[in-house]
Amino acid sequence: MADRRSELDLPKAKRAKLAESDPASNPYLAHMYEEDVGYGNGYGSRNGNKNGRFEQTGLSNFQRHASTAAQAHTAEDGPGNPFNNVPLSNQYFNILKTRRDLPVHKQRQEFLDMFQKSQILVFVGETGSGKTTQIPQFVLFDDLPHFNNKLVACTQPRRVAAMSVAQRVANEMDVKLGEEVGYSIRFEDVTGPKTVLKYMTDGMLLREAMHDHNLTRYSCIILDEAHERTLATDILMGLLKEVALRRPDLKIVIMSATLDAQKFQRYFNDAPLLAVPGRTHPVEIFYTPEPERDYVEAALRTVLQIHATEPEGDILLFLTGEEEIEDACRKITLEADEMIREADAGPLKVYPLYGTLPPHQQQKIFEPAPPPARKGGRPGRKVIVGTNIAETSLTIDGIVYVVDPGFSKQKVYNPRIRVESLLVSPISKASAQQRAGRAGRTRPGKCFRLYTEAAFKKELIEQTHPEILRSNLANTVLELKKLGIDDLVHFDLMDPPAPETLMRALEELNYLACLDDDGDLTTLGKLASEFPLDPALAVMLISSPEFYCSNEILSLTALLSVPQIFVRPASAKKRADEMKDLFAHPDGDHLTMLNVYHAFKSQAATSDPKKWCHEHFLSLRALQSADNVRSQLKRIMEKSELELVSTDFNDKNYYTNIRRALVAGFFMQVAKKDPTGKTYKTVKDDQSVLLHPSTVLGVDSDWVLYNEFVLTTKNYVRSVTSVKPEWLLDIAPTYYDLSTFKAGEIRSALQKTMDKVKRKQATKRTR
Amino acid sequence: MAAQDSGPNTAEEEEDDYMNMIIEEPTQPKQKETYTQRRLRKQRESEARGRVKSKAELALEEAAQREDSLSKSLLEDPETAAKNKGLAMMAKMGFKPGVALGSKENKDARLEPVGISMKEDRGGIGLDSEKKRKFREEHEKEGKRVKAEQVDYRERMRMEREEARLESQVAAAMRVAERMDGEKEEQDAFCAGGSQDEESKETKRKMPTKPLRQINVLWRGLVQRREEKERDRRMRYDLHQSLSRLPTYEDPDEDKDDKRALGTHVVRHSLVEDLEEEDPELDAFNGLDPADRLDKLVRHLRQEYNYCFWCKSAYPDETMEDCPGLTEEEHD
Repeated sequence: MADRRSELDLPKAKRAKLAESDPASNPYLAHMYEEDVGYGNGYGSRNGNKNGRFEQTGLSNFQRHASTAAQAHTAEDGPGNPFNNVPLSNQYFNILKTRRDLPVHKQRQEFLDMFQKSQILVFVGETGSGKTTQIPQFVLFDDLPHFNNKLVACTQPRRVAAMSVAQRVANEMDVKLGEEVGYSIRFEDVTGPKTVLKYMTDGMLLREAMHDHNLTRYSCIILDEAHERTLATDILMGLLKEVALRRPDLKIVIMSATLDAQKFQRYFNDAPLLAVPGRTHPVEIFYTPEPERDYVEAALRTVLQIHATEPEGDILLFLTGEEEIEDACRKITLEADEMIREADAGPLKVYPLYGTLPPHQQQKIFEPAPPPARKGGRPGRKVIVGTNIAETSLTIDGIVYVVDPGFSKQKVYNPRIRVESLLVSPISKASAQQRAGRAGRTRPGKCFRLYTEAAFKKELIEQTHPEILRSNLANTVLELKKLGIDDLVHFDLMDPPAPETLMRALEELNYLACLDDDGDLTTLGKLASEFPLDPALAVMLISSPEFYCSNEILSLTALLSVPQIFVRPASAKKRADEMKDLFAHPDGDHLTMLNVYHAFKSQAATSDPKKWCHEHFLSLRALQSADNVRSQLKRIMEKSELELVSTDFNDKNYYTNIRRALVAGFFMQVAKKDPTGKTYKTVKDDQSVLLHPSTVLGVDSDWVLYNEFVLTTKNYVRSVTSVKPEWLLDIAPTYYDLSTFKAGEIRSALQKTMDKVKRKQATKRTR
Repeated sequence: MAAQDSGPNTAEEEEDDYMNMIIEEPTQPKQKETYTQRRLRKQRESEARGRVKSKAELALEEAAQREDSLSKSLLEDPETAAKNKGLAMMAKMGFKPGVALGSKENKDARLEPVGISMKEDRGGIGLDSEKKRKFREEHEKEGKRVKAEQVDYRERMRMEREEARLESQVAAAMRVAERMDGEKEEQDAFCAGGSQDEESKETKRKMPTKPLRQINVLWRGLVQRREEKERDRRMRYDLHQSLSRLPTYEDPDEDKDDKRALGTHVVRHSLVEDLEEEDPELDAFNGLDPADRLDKLVRHLRQEYNYCFWCKSAYPDETMEDCPGLTEEEHD
């Protein structure tokens, strides 16, 4: 305990403003005060571990890191719950039976042997092996974290997975979710003082690490789905590699679903590897003889053909995005209805599946296939049309046919033009195999690849590029700095990004004044890292009190952090646009969004928000989640003692102030209109861009600030607000230092503005 | 400054100053743009500036600009590299250009950012490369075909010309051979009897009575063609002479005199009896290459008459001393 106390004293210098507020109230540091807060409730006290006065449980005789599978087996058999001595339920024993049938169970002893011997272990288990639910429990029985006041953490790349797996494991262990087993995701912490196993998003663990560099709270950390290589998982791996040296007592398990595990092994200094086969059936793979002209059309054709000719079994079709999926669902339903009428085909149910779909609709995919239309009729079938979230994270039983056009929407970033965008790109071979594997969950299946075998071999890359290579790292660099990593150049990442990417990130943070010229965190940088936001948004929010509009910027930040609030269904585009015009502000999209939010909070909307949103073609879900994000951010602002102020709405500067505050964060995302035509040129990068068709901009503005650069066949900037060049020079003088500009139209325009300002000031002075 | 700017005037002023001994160097090696030229150039430039670009052009420009920026490393551009604070911070951390980030042992670390490729349609995987491949193949095939045809055509034309030339030479050699043969026969006949007068000689020459088979195969073709021509000419002539009635029409009531009066008496046109007959020997000879036929003719002329077709002259003896050789080339 003593050393943990000193740990608390160490990062004082780094905690700036936050440290001045009571650290005990910081949720990330709550565990450090556990003794003071909940001494009477934790395991530590109840089991009296310090004095050796254990309440007799199934685990009492266990030797930490020396237990066996047989011992665990006995303890699991009860009669009392090995963790809280509560009598075990019937449901528990039912589940226990199926658990013991899982492939991982056979290798429990093998796992324990390796786990006990080494600090880091790489575990490979294909989907369906039971690794996500079982391995953490195996660890619990051997690591016995509750006897040492520690926790076992298991990370998941997705929030939904963290929640659902935690629920499942709580059932398996016959405990209430939030007690022994809990989960923690951004904006939601369902854990308690008794918690021994915590499922959490990898991003959450990273944020905890920012305040507790050695992750002292945990005795074992399990990184699940490491093969997905999310940004947070990659950073965590780099961090854990260092923490492992500082904390020899910390156990680390890296879990991956793919065969590329040797790479993990090598990275963790040749850590031992344990592989468990999944429970899969063979999948027959079909290729097209010729490349397809239109992959969506080909996909629809294939799905309908399967329905017409193949025996019973559900279909999973992979497409790239919400719009494409909704469109495909509509078309399949239409065509299938005709097939049912005219060719006596079986009934067909079509379900979309994508990230922004409301959870209750996502749940629908687990509904069984429809029964035959009449007795003895042809069997019904369900079709799931999903993005690549159906590739690894969700397990849907009953899928026998997979249709794979070979594309997914992926984030791309290139530091040379500083664009982060979502682009439809070909998947990797690993991804294609993963997709095919989905067909073999219940019985032998078929996978229809809508490309030729030659294209599979030649055109697809081996592995998908990890997210760290496809992202703007400004936020990551800020996090790493906060994690106490100063040498970013030699930080041992599994796939280090290109030097230019780091250079851009550091430069951006420097312009945002989050890093000083030596690369050290500034006060602003430390503050910005407290917000789970991109640095530009965080800086905008932090500086907003200076512009007397922090309330409004807070709302706007929340609105920019959630999915699109405007709904524009294909069937009612015109009506939707008319509705949007009701909120339109001539100065641009940001102010328009703010108008929407204010209307959403008004009397007219709050009485029946669902109806109101429907009538105004707005997404209730997005607005509600913006509301939620806003309150979370507000809490952090209050804690950081940032003032929440507003300019009087009748003041003529009400909107001007907001626009100026936008510049404080987004001065690097500004474009100037070309003297000829409609195009704009981005400042400094000189990329030609057009205003996105969705833009509302009532005035013809020479300078605009944009939230997003969208790469399509044309370059678009989306969410645009008009700004004045004087503000740029005034608010971001370092970035708009004219000597750093290439000679050209933009530079001379800025020069003119500067001269004008000088003249004005001069005349003022003489007056 | 103003004086310098005023152009031609200054030159005149300086001319007056003849005491000034500065020898001016010829400073205008370039020809001066005339007023019209300048006006046109300005007009062109302003047109180019003022023209509203089409969407396609804009898209192309955007893409070009993007590709251009994407292909340039920020580290290699000395201007950005020198000013970039991010790079300066990295240098402080020990970064050296050309070395990847991360652990030194990591051999896979990238130096270049991941590229961006834009998908513009719904074409399936492999469609673009398939299209490219097909286009390339098509292009290559097309190229080959055109090339092959070109070679063929030229060769064919050359061969055709050559053949035509040879044929005309063959014909010429045939005529020579026939003439010589005729002269020789005459001489033989003259030597033998010498009774035939000039006129009969003429007719004999014009209307050989010899059956074709007896004529040397070397120029039999020539005679045959001539005979055929002659026959066709006569038949045409007879047709014109007869009263519009097919020459083959036989009226049983007509007697000999009627026939004569009507000009329908049967005329035997073939001057040589076997003109219509099959002649395998001639066919075989005609089947030969014109070069071979010519060769045979040339040899025949040399052997029989000590005559060289190429020299166009007869030699006194069979050694034919002054003749360079058998072939045309030898006579070049």
